[in-house]
Parts: sequence; C-alpha cells; structure tokens
Amino acid sequence: MSHPAPNPSSVSRRQFLREGMRLAAMTGAGAFVGLSSGRTGAREHYVWQIDPTKCVYCGNCATACVLKPSAVKCVQAYEICGYCDLCTGYFVPEPNALNTGAENQVCPTAAIERKFIEDPYYEYNIIESRCIGCAKCVEGCTRFGNGSFYLQVRHDRCVNCNECSIARVCAGDAFRRVPASNPYFLKTSAH
Amino acid sequence: MNFRRPFNPSRRRFLTETARASLGLALFAGARTARSATAVNPFAYDVRKYETTDPKLIAYRQVTAFKCPLPDARRLCLVGTDRLAVAAGNKVALLDRTSGASSAEIPLNNPVRCVTEGPDGSLYAGLRDHVEVFDAQGKRRATWPGFAGRPWISSLAVNAEFAFIADAGNRVVYRCDLTGKAINHIGNRDRDRGIPGFVLPSPFLEVELHPDGLLRVTNPGRHLIEAYTFEGDRATAWGRPSMGIEGFSGCCNPVALAILPDGRFVTCEKGLPRVKVYSQLGEFESVVAGVESFPENAKVGSGEKPGDGVKASLDAVVDGQGRVFILDTVTGSIRVMVRNQAG
Amino acid sequence: MRALFPRSLFPALMGLLAALAGAASEMRFPPPEFETDYTMPGITTPPPRSLAMEYVDTALLVTALGLAAWLVHRRRSRRGLVALSVFSLVYFGFIRTGCICPIGAPQNVALGMFDPGYTIPLTALAFFLVPLVFSLFWGRTFCAAVCPHGALQDLVLIKPVKVPLWIEQGLGIVPFIFLGLGIWLAATGTAFIICRYDAFIPLFRMNGSVFGLALGGIFLAAALFIGRPFCRFLCPYGALLRLGSIVSRKAVRITPDYCTQCRLCEHSCPFGAIREPVKLPVTPNALAPERRRLTWLILALPVLIAGGAWLGSKLSVAAAKMHPTVALAEQFLAGDKAPAPATALPTPETRALGRAAETAPELIAAASEVRRRLGIGGWWFGGWVGLVIGARLISLSLRPNRTDFEPDRGACYACGRCYLACPNERVRVGLITPAEAAALQAHAPVPRPDVKTS
Repeated sequence: MSHPAPNPSSVSRRQFLREGMRLAAMTGAGAFVGLSSGRTGAREHYVWQIDPTKCVYCGNCATACVLKPSAVKCVQAYEICGYCDLCTGYFVPEPNALNTGAENQVCPTAAIERKFIEDPYYEYNIIESRCIGCAKCVEGCTRFGNGSFYLQVRHDRCVNCNECSIARVCAGDAFRRVPASNPYFLKTSAH
Repeated sequence: MNFRRPFNPSRRRFLTETARASLGLALFAGARTARSATAVNPFAYDVRKYETTDPKLIAYRQVTAFKCPLPDARRLCLVGTDRLAVAAGNKVALLDRTSGASSAEIPLNNPVRCVTEGPDGSLYAGLRDHVEVFDAQGKRRATWPGFAGRPWISSLAVNAEFAFIADAGNRVVYRCDLTGKAINHIGNRDRDRGIPGFVLPSPFLEVELHPDGLLRVTNPGRHLIEAYTFEGDRATAWGRPSMGIEGFSGCCNPVALAILPDGRFVTCEKGLPRVKVYSQLGEFESVVAGVESFPENAKVGSGEKPGDGVKASLDAVVDGQGRVFILDTVTGSIRVMVRNQAG
Repeated sequence: MRALFPRSLFPALMGLLAALAGAASEMRFPPPEFETDYTMPGITTPPPRSLAMEYVDTALLVTALGLAAWLVHRRRSRRGLVALSVFSLVYFGFIRTGCICPIGAPQNVALGMFDPGYTIPLTALAFFLVPLVFSLFWGRTFCAAVCPHGALQDLVLIKPVKVPLWIEQGLGIVPFIFLGLGIWLAATGTAFIICRYDAFIPLFRMNGSVFGLALGGIFLAAALFIGRPFCRFLCPYGALLRLGSIVSRKAVRITPDYCTQCRLCEHSCPFGAIREPVKLPVTPNALAPERRRLTWLILALPVLIAGGAWLGSKLSVAAAKMHPTVALAEQFLAGDKAPAPATALPTPETRALGRAAETAPELIAAASEVRRRLGIGGWWFGGWVGLVIGARLISLSLRPNRTDFEPDRGACYACGRCYLACPNERVRVGLITPAEAAALQAHAPVPRPDVKTS
C-alpha cells in the first residue's frame, strides 16, 4: 500500500470498518473480562479426584484414562488395613497357597508387594509404577475386608484434562473436581 | 517404492496412500471402540460361584421375618422366653420374638455395640469402652468402669458369676465379676501357654458360653473358633479358611457365633453373607441361610452398594427350641429360621 | 443445577463431603498393635502442579507472544520465529504436554458462562484472551511461533503441496463449525470435543489411546506435504484468531517498503495465503453483476441462518446422546424391561444402570433438562453454521482491494517465510545489492494469463 490506492474512498471505508470492528472486539473482550472476573477461580484451582464412597470398581479407570497406564492408582490406607495374612485384596478368592505365586495374586500386574512384618501380620504396598488402576484388589478388599485399598487420581501423573475421560464413563459417577489444596480423599482410623 | 530415487510422491499417489492408511486406522479404531463398548469388566473380582448354595445343604427354612424398628442395628440377644433385644444406634430395642412388635426401648448416650441378658434377667449393654447394666424394666442399675488402651467392645456373655467382655480393640476377652472388675484376661497372645492371640482386622470378636463349661471365642483373622477355660487356657480350636461352603470365607470370618441347645455351632460370615451349622467338633453340617438369601448384604463392597465389608455383617442367636434368629445389619431385618422337618 | 452438571464445581458440596468423610472415619477400627518396632508408612499424596507454575506459564505465553510480534513486524526474522517455535514446541508442547492451551479454552469459557457452578480457571481465561487480544493488534502471532501445534506442523513441513483454492475455501469453514460445535457441547456440559479430538496432545504426551495417537500421526504425516493441515482445516481457536487478524492493527507485509510486483514471493507461502493484486475494472458498469450477486447473497443470509437453525435443532437429540447423564437415562429407560441376569459378571454398564435404578427420577429429570438446553443450543449452533456458510459466500463475492502482493490477513500465520522471497527485503538485510535485486526482478515470472485484469 505504498502506492496511492486507486480507490481511496473504498480503502478508507474498509479501514473504517476494520478499526470499528477492532474497537468493538476490544470492548467485547474488556466487558468479558469484567463479566467473568467474578466467576474465575483466582484463589483456588481444581483437580479431578475419585470419591471412594461412590467408586463401584467398574474397571474403567484402567481403560479410559488418556494416559496409558492410567493416572488412577490404588492407594493403601495403612491406618485402616488389617495386615491380614489372607488378604482378599492380594489373593484370589481361593488361592492354592498363601505365597507370592503369580497364580495366587488378584493383581493382574503384580503391583502389590506383600511384606512380612511379624506373625501373623503382613504389610501390603502398592507399586505405583505397575498399578493400572483396575480396582480388582479394591473390590476384594472392600467386600471382605476394611476397604483400605481404594482408587485415587495421582496428581503427579494426572494431566488434569478439561474433561476427564474417565469421569465421562465412570459407572459410579464418582469423579468430581476438588480444590487443589486438598486433592485427596484420605481414609483414616478413628483412633 | 523405489527408495533410490529422491522421495517425491505425486499428489495422487500421496492422496491414495493417505486415504488407504486412514481407512485402515479408522477401521482399527472402530473395531477397538466397538469391542470396548460391549466388553465385560476384565478386572472384576469374581466370586459368583460361591454366591449360590447347593439346595441339598440348606436345612432351615424361614418362618417369619421382621424389621428392627430402629436404624443401625448391630447385634441381638434373647430376652426372657419371648423377646429379643437389639442393639441399634444409641438404643436397645426390645422386640417380640414372633411378631417383631416393639415392647420397649432403652435409650443410651452413645452407640450400643452389643447386648446380652444375664441369668437374673438384667440386660448388659456394651458401648465402645464400657458396659452398662439395666434391670428387666430398662432402669439403669450400674455403669461399669471403662477399659484402658483402645477399647472396642464387641460382645458380651454373662453367667451367674462372671461377665465375659470381648474387647476387639484390645484383642482380648476380660473375665469380670458382676461389678465389672476384671479378674483375668483371656486370649492375649502368650507363646508359653500356646495362645496365638486374636487377629482382628475388623471389630468382630464374639464370646459365647458353651454348655460344656468352656468359652467359645471367634478368632476371625485366623478363621478359627477357639475354646478357652475361664482361667484363659486355650483348650481347642477349629475352623479353616475357604470361600467354599465348608470353610470361613474372606480375610476375617466368622463374625458371629451362636450355640445350639445341643452344643453345636451356628456361625455367621460377612462378605459372602451366610449362616451355617457346625458340629461340636467343628465339622460342617448344614446351611441355615445361604448368600442368595441376603442379596442386599452381599452387594456391600461389591460396587452395587456404598460402604465396605466392615459395616455389613450378620448376627445370630439361637433359642431353646433351636430356632435361629438372624440379624442382617444392612437391611435391619431379623429372620426367624427353623429346621426343616426332614432334616 | 447439581443434577444438571454432575461433574462441575461445588465448593460448598466439597465441605459437606469432607464432613461426611469425617463421619465415616468414626466407624473405623484401629489397626493391630505391633510387637516389633514397625512403623506404619503413610499414604503419599503427591500434590498437583502448583498455581504459581500456571502463572509462570501465563507469563511465558505473554512474553512469547510479545517476542513473536516483535519478530514478525519489527525484526522480520524467519530465523527468530523458527527459534521461538522450537522453544514453544519444547515448552508448551513436550514439557507442558500441550495443556493448558488456548485451543480448548473457548470450551472452558463457554461452560463458565452457562454453568454458574463452574469457575473458569484464571489461567484458562488468560490463555483464551491474551492471544486473541494480540491478534487484534499484530495478527496471528500466536499461530506463528507460540502455539505448539502450529510449531510442530510448521517445523515438519518439508515438501509443501499447493492446496487448490476451492478446497482451501471449502474446508476453511470447518474450524468455524468445529468451534460452534465445541461451544455448544461445552456450554451444555455435554462434552469437550475440541480436547477429545485434539490431534497433537497425545504426541506431546507421547502417550494415549490408539485412536488419539493415530489421529496425531495422520495429521503429522499430512503436515509433511500440506502446510499446517490442523491449523487450516480444523483448529477452532484459529478460527477466532482469523477473525481477530482480519481487523488487526498491523498485518504482515511481504516487502519492507514498496512492492515492485515482481511475483518472486508468489509461491513462497506454503499455506496459500499470498494474494495477487487485483486491478479495478475499466468501466464501473462491469461491477454491476458482482453487486447484484452480493445483494442476493446478503438477502439469502437470513434464510441460510434460519435453515441452519432449524436443522441444528434436529441435531440436538443425537448430540444429547454424548451427554453421560442423557446416555445413561436413555439406556436405563430402554433396558428397563429386560434386566441382566443376576449371575452375569458385572460390566461398567450394569453398574451404571444399577446406579440409574436407584436415582431414576432425578436422573431422568436431569437428562430431560440437558436435552432441553441442548435443544435451545441446537438452534444457535445451526444458525451459526448458516451464518458461517453465508459469510464465506459473501466474502468470496467481495471484490478484493489489493494493489500489491499481500498476504490474506485472515489466512496468514505470520510464519515469515515470504520475507526473504522479496528482493527489496534481501537488499534491506544486506544479502544482495540493489542492482542484483533489479536483475532478479527483471527475470521474475511473467504474469499468468489467468490473472484477474477485468
């Protein structure tokens, strides 16, 4: 446009339109900021978490997460664990023997570590790098035992999607957004 | 494709290749989605085959059933000849044994964990850390001192001389005199006396007086029923873990125990809610009520109902005629079971 | 509202839940007392990414945008833009795994506008607005070197193929439709489809479903030959930036000073954004048929909008199936008569249906409310599609007013490739002498016969 435009009136009309629309867009953006300032979470941001009281162990956490393996892992609430020798979260319903044989384990990825503490107590730890969040152990533990195994979104892995792809398919509608300052549901003992 | 020549795909070639590749990928992705939409949960914890009972093993039938009028029923006991007492919430409810009609309610200040009747007709109610005694009219006669440690009283048995208090929190049974003073501890781990100790992942320690003069105490973490003398010597023990009908299922069963007039045992389990009869020697004999008769209870912890196995349990008592009263803590209903004529 | 948007934010509810959790813990039985000196491990609770880091992201975004604007308009440095692209690709792409990104942000904003229970994260609002405001002043500088999606496609473009203009113009309306669809579905709490069908996030995460990775692979393979296929034919945020860029204060200029119309820059743009000069007709009467066509199109616009709105309202029933609540309610009502046998192994569906059975009245009420809102949104969405098609037809009938070779304001990604194609620019940066430039211009391609001279 270094050369003089052949039709100056047209150019100025377009220029005028352009300026006007830019002004309108700026005004709109300003109004928008004002309008939404009351609605933004300036002080707190939110992350996804599973409410263990609503979890139904449907298995979708293992398959629906955008991450493979899932950002949902089983956690062990030691404070309410019974430290059972025959742990129904660790052993299949009718194990051949109470040992660490793969055929005796509930976990499809052998992500639970069974550690002898003292007769007759065993500690069970989740090896998070192996856990796929399938909740098979959670069901075994919750049905027969204390429910010390339960699923939680692990925030060192979760990418906090806009729309959690597990939440969409969660059979128990157990996913919700929780404040990032308090991002876990903890099961603790009364004592 | 000849790679010696510089890679210079024609537009048409490129388009056909891309279309072919995307079609293949789309088919693959489509097949994947279709499969995952219809698939069962490959990670289900499957105990279905233990949830049905062989009808030949069932030796009891239900004559009546009624609902406890109060919420949060936990345990029950016989009162007199025609009533039941149910520990429910902060109250003890007295119900008619055949109709379930409520005749009285005794209010307490805290949740009642268990209740039993003494030989003189007084009622003993166990709270978390202490026992309160009421007369037959429901008037409080005494409040016994609390126990130290981490008490969680779960069961009581009283005879003419002693009260036996099962404290699941401290993993011990106290023998007390009838003023609530502890005389000795029963069941504490003691290797010299050959006592392995109670293993209680959940608060189900039950003590019962057996006609043979010994105590019977459940040891659910070891899947055992143990016999103790009043002095605390361990006499015998029986029981084995199994999801099968003849054993005690899960991690911690049986959760409750009752003794038939002839000294045989009625046991209750949770997880796979079922009530069974064992001989005096601990041989499996028959089923009072199988898993299928407690559908609501069996759902707990299976993902179909909120809560975990700790909150769902059964309790049973047996009256002088051999009738079994089963309390389902999930539905709050009490079933009255009698033995089949044929059996 | 709770039932309407079951997954949205309810801080008050959270407090209630915390209280419930406390109540549940009263029931808990203590663990065993160990004889050995065993100490019980605690649950580890790795914290989410801190809010401060999100502010750092926002600050980086603003800085990168400013730098890009400077590189495009002042420095006129393609090399600088490539360097900034590499940084954006590494940081916003591979380190921040493409999240949060402005592309999905219109959805957050839409949900925040229509669901009072959802608070828009401040960073999402910033990521939505800041590139748009920049586009009003300096054009699509975000696309140029800040967007990791754009940077990835731009950097892998090795053999650009010219996309025929009619395809370009036809597919060019897809981003607007996708934007409308994304806002419609997000505002009703149905789905965040812009995120779900994002092509490159799985690549940035180097993790994801087969579908997501395959989609990314297809777009990446296409990007080898077609310049920025995602940006041009799908990106909904790009549609917004295009609008901002059309009215921007500054536009990319190929030449630093004046255009000699030597045509050397003509094919330097891999995105087909460089437009030829258009000569005015010799007689004003020649404009008459064009004006008539334009009048007809402007008159047809309301008809297009109305027709689109009507069609859109028909779409809402199908779209409602994407909402989890509606899908469950429909499945529940359809499968009511034939419950699954009790002995079958549970599936996620049976579990969800079990939940539906317990809360049937609320579920069905919530589902019909979602449907109602989707129905209203369907009219708006359909109308938007009609408007987009009509506006595109009108813009194609407008006589462009160009005396020089210029980039199309909306379509230009400000990548800077055309700068060095201009001999004047080469002289400016000292690559050649004015004499050499004149020689180049003398050998420039002759005008093609199809060039508009009417």
